[in-house]
Amino acid sequence: MTDVIRTPTLTTRVPRGQVRRFLRNPLAVISLAVLGVIVALAALAPVIAPFDPNFADIGHTLADPGGANLLGTDSAGRDVFTRLLYGAQLTLLSALLCAVVAIGLGLPAGLIAGFYGGPFDSASSWVTNLIISLPGIIVLLSVRAALGPSVWISMVAFGILLSPGYFRLTRTAVQAVRNELYVDAARVVGLSDARIIARHILSVVRAPLIIQTALIFGVAIAVQSGLQFLGLGDPSEASWGEMLGDGFQNIYIQPLLMLWPVLAIGLTIGSLVLLGNAIRDALEDKRVVSAPRTRAARTVVEPAAEEIPDAADVLLQVSNLSVGYPSADGGHTPVVRGVSLTIREGEVLGLVGESGSGKSQTAFSILGLLPSSARILSGTIFFRGDALVRGGIRDAALMKGLRGRRIAYIPQEPMSNLDPAFKIGAQLTRPMVKLLGLSKKQARAQAHALLASVGIPDPDRVLGSYPHEISGGMAQRVLIAGALSCDPDLIIADEPTTALDVTVQGEVLDVLRSMQERTGVAVLLVTHNMGVIADIADRVAVMRQGEIVETGTVDQILAAPAHPYTQALLGSMLVGREPLTPLGIGPVDAPEPVLNRADRALALAVADSDREEPLSDAAETALREEI
Amino acid sequence: MKSTSLKVAALSVGLLLLAGCTAGGSNGSGNGGGSTEILKIGQIGDVSSWDPAQAHVGHALMPYQVVYDSLLRREPDGTLVPMLATDWAYDDSRTVLTVDLRDDVTFSDGTPFNAEAVKVNLDHFKGANGRQAVQLTQYQSTTVVDDDTVQITLAQPDPAMEYYLSQAAGLMASPAAIADGSLETTPVGSGPYVFDTANSVRDSQAVFTAREGYWSPDLQKFSGVELRNLEELSARVNAILSGQVDFTTLDAKSAAQAERAKLALIPDYQVDWTGTSILDRGGQIVPALADVRVRQAMNYAVDRETLLQELQLGYGTATSQVFGPDSSAYVPDLEDRYPYDPAKAKQLLAEAGYADGFDLTLPVISAFSTQVTAIAQQLGDVGIRVTQETVPGPDYVANIVQGRYPAFNFNLAQTETWVAINQLVSPTATFNPFDTTSPELEALLAKVQAGGADADAAAQDVNRYVTDNAWFLPLYRIDQIAAYDPTALTVQAQVQMAIPSIYNFAPAK
Amino acid sequence: MLMFTLRRLGAGVVLLIAITALTYTLLFFSSSSIARNILGEQATQDQIALKEAELGLDQPLPVRFFAWAQAAVRGDFGRSWFNGESVTDALVNRTPVTLTLMLVSIVLVAIVATALGVLAAVRRGWVDRVVQVGAVVGDAIPGFVLAIILVAVFAVQLAIFPAVSTIQPGAGAAAWIGSLTLPVIAIVLNYVTSSAQQIRSAVIKQLEQDYVRTLRSRGIGEGEIVLKHVLRSAAPAGLTVLSLQFIGLLGGVVILERVFAIPGLGALAVGATVRGDIPIVMGVVILTVLIVIVVNLLVDLANGALNPKVRLS
Repeated sequence: MTDVIRTPTLTTRVPRGQVRRFLRNPLAVISLAVLGVIVALAALAPVIAPFDPNFADIGHTLADPGGANLLGTDSAGRDVFTRLLYGAQLTLLSALLCAVVAIGLGLPAGLIAGFYGGPFDSASSWVTNLIISLPGIIVLLSVRAALGPSVWISMVAFGILLSPGYFRLTRTAVQAVRNELYVDAARVVGLSDARIIARHILSVVRAPLIIQTALIFGVAIAVQSGLQFLGLGDPSEASWGEMLGDGFQNIYIQPLLMLWPVLAIGLTIGSLVLLGNAIRDALEDKRVVSAPRTRAARTVVEPAAEEIPDAADVLLQVSNLSVGYPSADGGHTPVVRGVSLTIREGEVLGLVGESGSGKSQTAFSILGLLPSSARILSGTIFFRGDALVRGGIRDAALMKGLRGRRIAYIPQEPMSNLDPAFKIGAQLTRPMVKLLGLSKKQARAQAHALLASVGIPDPDRVLGSYPHEISGGMAQRVLIAGALSCDPDLIIADEPTTALDVTVQGEVLDVLRSMQERTGVAVLLVTHNMGVIADIADRVAVMRQGEIVETGTVDQILAAPAHPYTQALLGSMLVGREPLTPLGIGPVDAPEPVLNRADRALALAVADSDREEPLSDAAETALREEI
Repeated sequence: MKSTSLKVAALSVGLLLLAGCTAGGSNGSGNGGGSTEILKIGQIGDVSSWDPAQAHVGHALMPYQVVYDSLLRREPDGTLVPMLATDWAYDDSRTVLTVDLRDDVTFSDGTPFNAEAVKVNLDHFKGANGRQAVQLTQYQSTTVVDDDTVQITLAQPDPAMEYYLSQAAGLMASPAAIADGSLETTPVGSGPYVFDTANSVRDSQAVFTAREGYWSPDLQKFSGVELRNLEELSARVNAILSGQVDFTTLDAKSAAQAERAKLALIPDYQVDWTGTSILDRGGQIVPALADVRVRQAMNYAVDRETLLQELQLGYGTATSQVFGPDSSAYVPDLEDRYPYDPAKAKQLLAEAGYADGFDLTLPVISAFSTQVTAIAQQLGDVGIRVTQETVPGPDYVANIVQGRYPAFNFNLAQTETWVAINQLVSPTATFNPFDTTSPELEALLAKVQAGGADADAAAQDVNRYVTDNAWFLPLYRIDQIAAYDPTALTVQAQVQMAIPSIYNFAPAK
Repeated sequence: MLMFTLRRLGAGVVLLIAITALTYTLLFFSSSSIARNILGEQATQDQIALKEAELGLDQPLPVRFFAWAQAAVRGDFGRSWFNGESVTDALVNRTPVTLTLMLVSIVLVAIVATALGVLAAVRRGWVDRVVQVGAVVGDAIPGFVLAIILVAVFAVQLAIFPAVSTIQPGAGAAAWIGSLTLPVIAIVLNYVTSSAQQIRSAVIKQLEQDYVRTLRSRGIGEGEIVLKHVLRSAAPAGLTVLSLQFIGLLGGVVILERVFAIPGLGALAVGATVRGDIPIVMGVVILTVLIVIVVNLLVDLANGALNPKVRLS
C-alpha cells in the first residue's frame, strides 16, 4: 500500500511570482526608485522648495550653483532648484493627463473594436485614421491659438492625438487572440464576453500597453519641452521645457543651466522606459515554475523491472533522466525523475500518463527542444550508441544534427505548429532541401507523394494552401508527412490526436498506424489515452509525477496491470466519461468499476497534485484555468 | 533638380562620403576662407514679398536695398544724400516737394527710370496697403513735370517725408514689373545687384549677382550677395561661427561666443530701446495708472542698471527717455530722470492713495518672459502685484494696439523724431491705443509738424512732456550685436537701422 | 488586392475631406488678427478692413471653406497671404527635403532597430540588458537636445558638417548628404529605441510560439528560423510602430528644421500656422494627409503580404 501523498496545491498562477521576478530585476528596482524620488519631490515641492518659483533675484541672474541657490539661478534670477520642483509637478501631471486621455479613449475602443468587430470596429477605425492623419503640430498650434497657451489644454489635445496608438495596439493584440482556441474554449464553457475580455485578452494586451504608456509619457514630456523650445509654450508657468528653452538661450553664458532640465527629463523618461521594459519582462516571459515545496513520498510499489534490451537492436536508450525547472528557492524542481526507457528499431513505445506526468518533457528532452529555462539534472540518452545526453550534459550540436533527419517530431496542436505566413508546400519542402540536399522540384514531388501517402486526397491544393486554409485533421496529416519526410529512424509523437475532433482522431490514428507499418519507423507515442495505446503500441511505459511506474508489453499492461495507478488509468478510459474530470472522480452515476478506498484516495491525491507541464498557452489556459 | 537618382545617391552613399563634405560645408560658393567676393548675410527672416510696397524697416528693409535703389540715400550717420534723385526742395507751404531725377538709369529689365516711373511707384505704394503704408499717409499725388522732374503733393506737411523717400516709400521698381504683378516673387529694380531666380529658394535664401553697368559703381562692392534665412538664433550663431555667413545679428548672450571666435562686433550700435510702455494713462483698465504719480512710482521702482547688467550683460545704456541720441528730441538730462529709488516709489504710491499697491496684468510672450518677470519682481517689491498673461506670439501686437492690455513690453526702434511720435505719442499713434493726449501736447506736436526753426525745441519739449508724465517705463537702449568676420569684410553701423544698409558693407582689404 | 486598394483610396478621400474640414474649422477659430499680422502694427482700421475683405476673412466659416474647397478640387490651392508665393510652389520646393530626411531616417531606424531588437530577443542576458539601457539613453534625451549637441560637436567644433543646411536648387548630393546627416542621426538616435523594443517584444513572442519549436524539430537552423520565419511574423508589430513613427516624424522634424535651418515642410507648417497663413496651412494639411493615407495603405498591404491570416479580417 502506498502512503497518502501529501502535496499542497500549486501556488496560484501568478501575481506573487511576477512581482518577485520584477523585483529581482535590478533595472526595475532602480527605475522604480528614481521615479519614486522624482514623484515624491514633485509632490513635496511646496514644502521643500526654498523659494517661490516666480521670485526673481534680478541681481543674481545666471548664477552658479551654490549659496542659497542649490542649482543656481536662471536668466531672470529665479532659483533653478525651486523651478525644477514645481516644473516637475506641472510636467508630470500634464503628461499624466495626456496619457490618461489617450488610454481612456484608445483602450476601451480598441478592446471593443478588436473583440466584436462589426460596425463599431469600422467606425472607430475610421475615426482613428482620421486622428492619426491629422497633422499633429498644426492641430496643437491651432488649439493653442484658439484656446490659450495653457499646457493642460495642449496635453489634452495631444492625448487625443495619441489615442489611436493605444487603439491600434489594443485592437491588433485583441484580434490576434480573438480566434485563439482558448478563447473559443472559454466561450464554450460559457464565460461572458466581459469576463473573457478581462481575464484573457487584457492579460495579452497588458504588456504592449504598458510599454506604450511609458513611452507616451516620455513623448508627452518631450513634446511639451519642444513646444516651449520653439517659444510656443506658456512662459509664465515653470516647466522643464521652459527651463530647457531658457537654458538654451543662455547656453554660452551659463551652460550648466541646461544641464538640470536635461537631467530631469532624461532621468524621468529613461526610468519610465526601463520600468516599462521591466514590467513587460516580468509579465510576458515563460513563468518560472513555483512548485510545491514538500517532496512527495515515494510509493512502496516498485515499477516493473525493465527488460534488459538486446543491445544491437536498441535505437534509443534513456537512463535515469531527470529534468527540472528553477524553483523559487533557487534549486530545481524536477518534472522528470529518474526516467529510463528503451526503444528498439521499428518498435512503438507508448508513454502514457495524465497531464502533468512529465511525459511531454521526457519527449522534448530526447529531441533537445526543452524550453531554455529547463535543466537536465542527471541521466543519459543514447541514440544509436551516440550520447545525446551524458551525465546531465547535453550534446547540443549532435542533437541538432539529428533533429528532423533521424529523430522527427509530430506535435499535438496542428494549427499552431505550422507557420501561418508560409504555404504548406514551402514548409514541407524546405527541410528536405536542407537536410537531404534535394532540389526544389524533387522535394516538391516528394512532398506530393508524402501527402498522398497520409491520405490527403488533393495534395496539390494542400501544397499551395496556407495553414489557415486547411482543416485540423488535414494539418495533422501534413505534420505527420513532415515528420516522415526525411526518413527518420524515430518519430516522437506528442499526443498527436488529442487536439482533433473525435471523428478525425480515428482517421489520423489509421494514418499513423499505416505509416508505421509501412516504413518500419520507431515511434515514441506520448498520450494520456489508453485507447490509442491499445491501437498502436507494442510496448507501454506508464508515467506518473515524473516517474515511470510500470513498463511492459501492451498485452501485459492492458490485460494485467500491476501498478495501482495503471489500474486506475485503465479504469478511467474515455468511454462513458467526461474527458477532463480528475481521475477516478466522475459523476455519481457513472457506470464504472468502483475502486477500493485506497486507490480512490490515491486517485484523489493524484488529481490534487498539479505539477505544471509546459503546454502551449492555448491548451494550458483551457485546461488549467477554466475547469 | 531633385531627381530620384539624387535621392538614391543620397541614400546609398551613406557614411563613406561624409568626410568629403568638408569642402562643401564651409563655403558653399567655392571660395576659400578669406576671399569675399560674395557677401553672405544671415537674416532673421525672409522677405515676405519682393514688392517694395511691402518693404518694412531695419532687417526687412535692407534686402530691398540690394536690388532696388531709393530716391534718396541715407548715409551711415543719417544724412540724406542724392541717389536716384539729384535734388529736392519744398515749397513754402511745405506740402509740395519738387524732386529732380537722374536721367541715366535703367531698370534691369531695360525699362528706363524717369518721372513716370516715380509716379507709378508712389501711387502703387500708396494703394498697396503695405506694412509701411503709414509712410505715405500724407501723400496725395505725384505730378510729372518732365522726364526727370516730379512734384509730390502732400495733404499736410510731413517732416519725415524726405526721410521716408530714403526708406521703403522711396524704393523704385520697374513699372513694367509693377504692371504685370510679378514683383512679389521676382524683384526688378535698378539697384546694384540682380535677383538670381534659379538659385534662390523661398524662405531659405535669396541670391543676387552684381549688375553689369550699374550706374554707381562705388556702391557696388561685391560680386554677389547671399541672404540666408536663419530664424533661429542658434542657427545664426552656428552659421557665423562656422563661416557659412560673414555677417549676422546675434544677442547679448551669444556675443561672448562670437568674440571668442575672433569675430568682430560693430561698436556703439544702438537702435532699439526696450522696456514697458504704460498705455492706459486714462485708467480705463487699471484706474491706478491714471495718476501720474503712480506711473512715476513705477519708473522709480525699477533698477535699470542691474537689469542691464543681468539681462543684457551690460550691452546697452540705461535710459529714462524713449527718444534716441540721434533724434532731434533727445534731451541729455532726461537720461536718468528716474534713478532707482524704491522708497520714493512707495512714497509716491502712498501719496496717490495706493499705499497697499494695486493689481496689474502684463501680457507676455516667450521673447519677453525674462524681462517681464524681472520688472514684475521689482514692481512687486513696492506693492504692485503683477500678473503675467501669456499671449500667442503673432497676436501680441494686435492685442496691444486694440487696447486689450494696460501696458506692454517691447523693443521699439528709436527713429527719426516725427516717425517716433507717430508711433508712440500722437493721439493716432500706433502704440497709443487709448488715444491719450492733451491740449498742451497737441500744441507741441503741431509745432513739430510745421517744421522750421522751432521744430527741434518743440520736439524736445514733447520728450520732456512724455517723460515727466511717465508715459513709458524705458529700461535701456540695447546694443545691436552685429557680428562679422573682419577678415572677410568691413561694415559700418547705420544710425537708427537695426542692420546696416547694404552700402555700408565692403570687402576687407 | 486591387479592390482592397481601391476601397482604401476611396476611404482616404473621405478622410481627406473630413480632415480638411476639421482643420479649417480649427484655423478659423484660432487666429482673429490675421489681417493685422499681415499688415503690421502700423495698420489702420480701414486698411485692416480692406485686407479682410480682400482675403474673405469677413465671411462665415462654411462659405470660406467651400470657396477654398472648390478651388482646391480644381488644383488651385491659392497663394500665401503673407508673401504671395503660390502654395503649390511652396510645397514643391520644400517637400523633397523633408521627405528625404524622413525616409532616410526611417529606413535607418528600421534597419538598426530590427538588428537591435532581434539581437536582444535572441541573445537574452547581458546583451539584452545593454541594448535596453543603451537604447533608453537615446530615447530619454529629447530630439532637439540631441540635435544641438550634435551641431555643437560636429558642426561647430569639428567642422565636419555644415551647421546650417546648404541645400538649394542645383545643389549636388554632397550638399544634401552634408546637410541631412546630423538631423538624420538625431532622428535615428531618438526613434530607434522604441522600435527596437517593440520588435524585441514581438520577436520574443514569436520565439515562444509552437511552430518555432516544430521548425527546430524539422532541423531548420536557428538563423533561418529567426530571419525567415520569426521576423516575418513579427513584422506587423514592427511595421506598425515604424509607420506611426514616420507619421509622427511629420511633426517631429519641425524643431530639427528650425535648428538646422532646413528649408522643409515642417518649418513652413509651423510658421504658417502661427501666423495664420491659412492657404499654406491647408496645402500642408492636404499633403500630410495624402502621405498618411499612402503610408497606411502600404503598411496594410505589406501586412497582408507578410501574414496571410491577417487578410481574413
